[in-house]
Order: sequence, then structure tokens, then C-alpha cells
Amino acid sequence: MSLPGNRTRVLCKFFAHGACLKGEHCEFSHDWKDPANNVCTFYQKGACAYGIRCRYDHVKVPQRQASASSSTYPFQYAVPESITASSTPGTASPIAVIGELSAYTSAKPTWAEGSGQNDLISDVIGQSRSTNPADIVMCSFAAAGNCPRGETCPHLHGDLCPTCRKQCLHPFRADEREEHKMGCEKKHKHLEALKHSQEIECSVCLERVLSKPTAAERKFGLLSECDHPFCISCIRNWRSSSPTSGMDVNSALRSCPICRKLSYFVIPSVIWYATKDEKQEIVDSYKARLRSIDCRHFDFGNGTCPFGTSCFYKHAYRDGRLEEVVLRHLGAEDGQTVIAKDIRLSDFLNRMRIR
Amino acid sequence: MQASRARLFKEYKEVQREKVADPDIQLVCDDSNIFKWTALIKGPSETPYEGGVFQLAFSVPEQYPLQPPQVRFLTKIFHPNVHFKTGEICLDILKNAWSPAWTLQSVCRAIIALMAHPEPDSPLNCDSGNLLRSGDVRGFQSMAKMYTRLAAMPKKG
Repeated sequence: MSLPGNRTRVLCKFFAHGACLKGEHCEFSHDWKDPANNVCTFYQKGACAYGIRCRYDHVKVPQRQASASSSTYPFQYAVPESITASSTPGTASPIAVIGELSAYTSAKPTWAEGSGQNDLISDVIGQSRSTNPADIVMCSFAAAGNCPRGETCPHLHGDLCPTCRKQCLHPFRADEREEHKMGCEKKHKHLEALKHSQEIECSVCLERVLSKPTAAERKFGLLSECDHPFCISCIRNWRSSSPTSGMDVNSALRSCPICRKLSYFVIPSVIWYATKDEKQEIVDSYKARLRSIDCRHFDFGNGTCPFGTSCFYKHAYRDGRLEEVVLRHLGAEDGQTVIAKDIRLSDFLNRMRIR
Repeated sequence: MQASRARLFKEYKEVQREKVADPDIQLVCDDSNIFKWTALIKGPSETPYEGGVFQLAFSVPEQYPLQPPQVRFLTKIFHPNVHFKTGEICLDILKNAWSPAWTLQSVCRAIIALMAHPEPDSPLNCDSGNLLRSGDVRGFQSMAKMYTRLAAMPKKG
């Protein structure tokens, strides 16, 4: 249905409302026969607050055209008013509308005329046609959990999500479905874990960790080597408390107050885990988070970090280069190897006595 | 300060609830000061302390539970790890092996266990320790029993 040479242009919005100041010089069409650009720009960006109540069309336009849909470019991929009228609820099925819509898209845009980009344009249009079933807008009431019109609703009702029990899975958008399912399951698991965590008490303050007065206190402190629950503040206080006489730091403070197993670090977590895998996940995400933060001691290479290679924070120089550490192993005579610390000239100078 | 108070209050409630559960320990908080407690513990059976009731005094530091409570016997007791005059107790969990997971109740239980299993190699009461170390179990037991009768049992008649 392409019309070569026909100067089809997009209907001027201002003209359509009855007043265009540009008059004859308007780059948009002042001819009622021309189609209006009725595509919702918010929907293109991903979210339109009006949902299905939006008076503009919620159709997916391929990226190239979407970017061209700003008002400065007249562009063709648009829905004539006759079509939008037919898409009002109850008159036509969404699929039929889309079918008609795609038929219009093959008309040639003015800005492409004679520019030799015809191949490209037809490519884009072909693409938009092939993804059409995915362009159908779902009923947002059903997606939110309950559509008052039920079976008689003219809009597409999504498939039921097994986790959140809402009709929000788009039947034709596979990646969106997967994304929702994954996110939904994750959220659900987190909620379940949070529910279980409510009951868990800290063995130091004997209170429920998640019932503490301030949000900062409502966190667990996980020990790396055992599975006894504490509040993050309690276990950190205990581990950093000054050892009383005769107390060994490693055997008393650094160990679990209950089982006395030695742990070298504490991991903060909002939820308490049920399985080893869940714990590992918490630990890994905590470490990954810290690794993205620059180490204060290292200070982009200006300082030295007492934790060295065991530091959880990022050791990077200002130019983004990561610190490369080569451990020097010193072999002793008895066959044991020790890791040599950094040796600096200043160490020797300090020891030297000037007479 | 606030943390120790909250924790002691929690323990107080726990003690009120568990009073019936453990008949060997009676833990009472001072009416006006939550940092002062007294406990009455029964001497464990099949020991020379059987039948006696011993009074303990707890003095809880403000850093509790990061620091252990100070406990001493108010009742005289003949035991290698208890100072005969001051009632001071030599017990690792009250010193270097303290852990904030211990409660006053569990400390009482640990002391009962210590009464049943004395450690003569780190004595605070040398006479008692020497009796045990030289193998004079009978001598130790009769001495301990005598002091239990004298100090830890209600006087007859």
C-alpha cells in the first residue's frame, strides 16, 4: 500500500486543535486527510502514568523511529484517526487494530524521500510488523490484580504469574515474561525469608533482631564460620570490645560467643538465611558491594592498607588501574615458606643510628 | 549502659517465667538496683555440698554483657576454686573465657557444675586443693561436708 510520490505528512497537532500559529509555513500537515501522530512518547520511554487510559496510542515503535517522533520531525509511522477511533473499547479486538496499523506503516515518510535510505526504512518497517503481537497493550487492571470487567474486557489479559498471582505476563513478550518471573520469585523469596527472620533472637541482647527500635539495628550479623544469629551491633560491639586481662583476642573475641568457632569477619544482612546456599549468596553480594568501594586506607595508592590482599575494598589507582600484588614467598631452611611483607628503605633508615 | 539495662530486664523476665523450671537456682534481683542480684543455689547431689543452700552475690558491670558479672559466694564454702574468706570464684567463664551469650542463669548453672567438679590445679583455697591433689578425697569430703552443715544448712534446734 505504499504511495510513492504522495506527500503524506503528519497532521499538525495545533492545527488539529484549531490554532496553528505557523499557518502555511508549518512543517506539519494542515490537511485533515493526513494521519495524526498519536504515539505516546512516555510509553516509548517505558512508562506512561496513564496506562490504558492514555489518549495516545501505546504501541511500540522501533527505536530509530521513536527517536524521530519528536515534534520537529514529521514522520510517517502514525495511526490515522480513523484507526484510533476504531480501537475504542468494545469495537475491535486489539490484534485487528494492530493489523490495520501495520498496514499503514508501509507508507513512505517524507523525510526519507529521495535520500536513498529506502532500504533502511523498509527494514525498520518490516521489523515493526514482525514484532506486532508483542505490541499489544495489556489490561493494566488485570496486571494489577483485578479487572472489574473480567471476561468481557476488550483488552488483552496477561497470563497468570505463578508467584504473585496477577495476570501480568505478556503472552507475546518472552523476555519481559522471564524478567517478571525472575524478579517476582526473588521478591517472594525475600519476603518469605523476612517472615522467617522475624522470630530470630540475638544471643547477646536476647531480643528479636528485627524488632529493634531503630532501622540500623534491625540487621543480622552473620559469622562466616558458624550459624548463630546476632544483631549486627551486638556482635560488632563484642568483637571490638577491649579484651580484659588474659583474654586472647582470637579465642575469645573473634570467636562465636556460643560455639567459640573462630570467624574472621561479620557480614551484615537484613534477612536470616535458611540454607548454606542462601548464606553464600548473602556473603558474595556483600563482598561484591564492598569491592566496588574504594579502600580508605589504600587511598588510590597514596596510603597503605593494613589488610593488604585480604582487604574487601577496592584497591585501585586514580586512573582506574587495579593494584597488582606480587606476594614474595621466602623459603626458610626448614622448608616452610612465609610471605614477606613490604620492605621499605625507611625501615632500615629508622633503625640506623647516626653517630 | 542502656544496652545492659535492657538485657538485664530481659533476663529478669526470663527468670520470672522459668522459676519453676529450674528448682536448683533461685535468682533474685535487688529491689532498687537491677545491677545487683543474689542467687540461691542448691548444692549438687552426690557431692559434699548436697543439702546445702548457697548464696551468691552478683555485681553486674555497666558494660554487661560485653564484660562478665562479678560473682562471689556469700555463704562460706570449702571448695578448691572458691576463696575461703572472700568467696571469690575462680572460673574461666567469669574471667577470660567469658562470652556475651552467657546469662546470669547460665552462670549459676556453671557454678553448680564447678561445685560438682572442682579443679584442684588452680586453687584459690590451697588447703582444699592440697587435700585433693594429695589424693585425700575422704578428708576433703568430710571437711566440705562439715562446712556445708555449719554454713549452708538451717540450724537445728
